[in-house]
Amino acid sequence: MSPMNALEISHLTKRYGLNIAVDDLSLSIKKGEFFGFLGKNGAGKSTTINAITGIARFDEGAINVFGVDVVKDYRNARKLVGLAPQEFNIDIFASPRKILHFMGGFYGMSRTIREPRINELLKRFDLESHAEKEFGMLSGGLKRRVLLARAMVHDPELLILDEPTAGVDVELRHELWGYLQELNEAGKTIILTSHYLEEVELLCSRIAIINKGKLVAIGDKSEFTSGGKRLEHRYLELTRDDVDNKTTK
Amino acid sequence: MKSTSINWIGLQTFVAREMQRCFRVPVQTIITPLLSALFYIFIFGQVLGKTVQNIGGIPYINFVLPGVLMMSVIGAAFAQTSSSLYFHRFTRAIEEILVTPLSHFEMIIGYTLGGIMRGVVVGAGVLVIGVLFGAAGFAHLWWFFFYTVTISTLFALLGVLAGLWAKSFEQIAAPNAFILMPLSFLGGVFNSIAMYPPALQVFARINPFFYFVDGTRYSMTGVREGNTVLGVFIIFAIIALLAALVGYLFHKGWRLRA
Repeated sequence: MSPMNALEISHLTKRYGLNIAVDDLSLSIKKGEFFGFLGKNGAGKSTTINAITGIARFDEGAINVFGVDVVKDYRNARKLVGLAPQEFNIDIFASPRKILHFMGGFYGMSRTIREPRINELLKRFDLESHAEKEFGMLSGGLKRRVLLARAMVHDPELLILDEPTAGVDVELRHELWGYLQELNEAGKTIILTSHYLEEVELLCSRIAIINKGKLVAIGDKSEFTSGGKRLEHRYLELTRDDVDNKTTK
Repeated sequence: MKSTSINWIGLQTFVAREMQRCFRVPVQTIITPLLSALFYIFIFGQVLGKTVQNIGGIPYINFVLPGVLMMSVIGAAFAQTSSSLYFHRFTRAIEEILVTPLSHFEMIIGYTLGGIMRGVVVGAGVLVIGVLFGAAGFAHLWWFFFYTVTISTLFALLGVLAGLWAKSFEQIAAPNAFILMPLSFLGGVFNSIAMYPPALQVFARINPFFYFVDGTRYSMTGVREGNTVLGVFIIFAIIALLAALVGYLFHKGWRLRA
């Protein structure tokens, strides 16, 4: 494995009973990449993300984050990863400040390190005036910001964003794009899943498409948009139900 | 951090979060069990107690108090862990914990310590009520601490198991209605088991709750009906069994990790 790989997935398989959610998936993501991970609902994107982050167990294969095995050395692997999930998997009665405070603590951050980091994130995501409100009382856009701040609290090297702009208004979406680009330019590796393909086209340098649990295409963005095609057209071609799923590069 | 070392800050944060959750709804978690205990002690101890002869040489209110106290501790410890874990699963907030470097051991300890602390807080409140009625005292103080902490631990672990098992809020209430309350009442909270018909006395002696109540009563009044050594053995055996089972289920990710 290359030491430069932020993520290396080898022959990942995850079954739910007789259903194969992820089928022998292998891919690697280089350090510093902004990587688009695309697929239809139920294609296996979230299952793959859950396997990387420890939310789900997997049946076969191996996953390494910056060379650290996510099963054998899960503590160190999880410190390297931050996840902003699609669902609001959060204590809805807690305030953003408390959510960040507890999350930082779970990652082993001492109070003296945690507090300034929390203040920095509240400011960065314009959450200061909402810091003491209940999460459940916040608007959809504010909730998304809290999830992003929570994913960033321990300053992870690999940031996984599962539909981070779902339900977010245009202004905030543009603001988030700017912030994500800043993070990427600062050296953070980012994996983005999104159904807004123009967002992926704008932000990502490399893209993978998964269909029915199998990787059907992976390559530089230019390879998907060559010949004047839009990413959306290529995506639709590759995820059609009648397409024979063989990985293309 | 090595996978085998303890994430102390994480564990401390986990317990703090559990406590914060408990004190966020004090009417539900603290006030209600204290009010129930107050009325049990008032009605059974103070009002009915005047018409009841001494049991084991002590006034009825002093006989009832330890049982009511232990029943409150059991309910509080169980409710804390079962509702917390189930709520985390229901809202998927459990994922927030699963992605962190906390080990299964730390998660179980965190939930259990939360249950113990709520059990101890409620137990202390009932003790204060007992003092107000002039019924609280200690014959063996260290035994009192022992029973309060070990029984809180036992029911906190049982609550973790229920929190994993439950698929609805209704199921969370089922163990309390069908196991905890009937076995507590039959375990001699309000009466000596010598008052039961012979067949029920046999049942009472194989009911673990009898040893929880009897041990607490011994620590507070010096009066006992059961065998202390057997009671201690039963408590440790159940704790060991529950800890092993909960540890195994967390390790397997049963109803935790998809």
